Amino acid sequence: MGSVDRVDKTLPLNEMMFAVRKSKDLRDRWNTDLAGICREFGVSQAEYEALRDKDVRKLHELGVHQYYVPQMLRLFYGAAANSNMHPALEAYKRAYPEESARALELAARLEREGR
Amino acid sequence: MAQIVAAMAMTHSPGLTGWFERAPLSQQLLAKKAMDEMRWRLEAAKPDVILAFSNDHLLNWPINNIPDWTVGIGDEHVGPADWYDEWLALGKYRIPGHSKLARHLVNEGARRRISFAYLREMQFDDGFSVPMHYLNPYNAIPLVPISMNCTVPPIPLPTRCYEVGVALREMVKAYPGAERVAVLATGGLSHEPGGPRYFWVDEAFDQWFLKLLANGDHGALLRECTLEKMEEAGSGGTAELLAWITALAFTRGPAEVLAYMPAVAWRSGTGMVVWSEMA
Repeated sequence: MGSVDRVDKTLPLNEMMFAVRKSKDLRDRWNTDLAGICREFGVSQAEYEALRDKDVRKLHELGVHQYYVPQMLRLFYGAAANSNMHPALEAYKRAYPEESARALELAARLEREGR
Repeated sequence: MAQIVAAMAMTHSPGLTGWFERAPLSQQLLAKKAMDEMRWRLEAAKPDVILAFSNDHLLNWPINNIPDWTVGIGDEHVGPADWYDEWLALGKYRIPGHSKLARHLVNEGARRRISFAYLREMQFDDGFSVPMHYLNPYNAIPLVPISMNCTVPPIPLPTRCYEVGVALREMVKAYPGAERVAVLATGGLSHEPGGPRYFWVDEAFDQWFLKLLANGDHGALLRECTLEKMEEAGSGGTAELLAWITALAFTRGPAEVLAYMPAVAWRSGTGMVVWSEMA
């Protein structure tokens, strides 16, 4: 099966993300007290550091559900106009340069072909 | 008895509202034309209610407890959920629900040994908001949303989704009312939201899947389009086509493919289809 099967459904960081998205208070603290939020949810040091460092590959390896990772990045950088050029997406290009380059080359080819 | 009067399916990617203009103009025009066509056909069918299927995206349920199916039974639905409005570039909207039909489905499902969770206040992200924006822009047609688990293992198999679709079709038809019901599936096509291939679109898979729909042979589609194939084409996202397979059970014969775009800019294979013959 695919990459989504790497999820650790018991990982505290996954539980934390569910709560953060629903709480304006937690969202407001994201960029000022991330360590404090992580402590409240029992997040491990390794999870916290991967999150703090916006290390997409490490977050995946730890078992964060992949759907949550772009949401974490949007909390850091903002959610508006979330195109492939958005700063939140740069972390993906760093983590998976080959996969990202391949997709963006496909986009460029399609545009050249007028599709 | 209620009647199925329309069935259609479309991609719900957030880029369709949030950063629509970042796709090539050809894709923008094709998508807009296809969604206009869907809206016209929906309005021509004069539905009293839309029964819509979409991935839950870990929005309503925590990862430790995700039902395969959840019915929104509220008298009214409000979207998008806080924080998602900026991402989707959509203001708050309110759509009437159809609580009586929704509760009928939950209870009839239980009698058929199908477990439908329910929510009186279901939260909406792109899954229902994007299609409603284009197909039900005045929020005039009441909505019964059914969210699905298409992204947290274990993901239900296509054959199970089709079985549940058949049961839902029978339950809708047995509903004691004269409602005209339109069925809408949202999600897909190939994409891998948040995964290593986040930007990738698998055009070959998408064209293959749409051809299966256009061929109209449900048995062949269920034999060939396995969950494994969906996952290969984009993990955790392509399986939103399970919503399409659920809607397929309300139809007979070939689907008409209105449009397909390998829309890397919207980070999703993007397609729109309608069925003309109901089961």
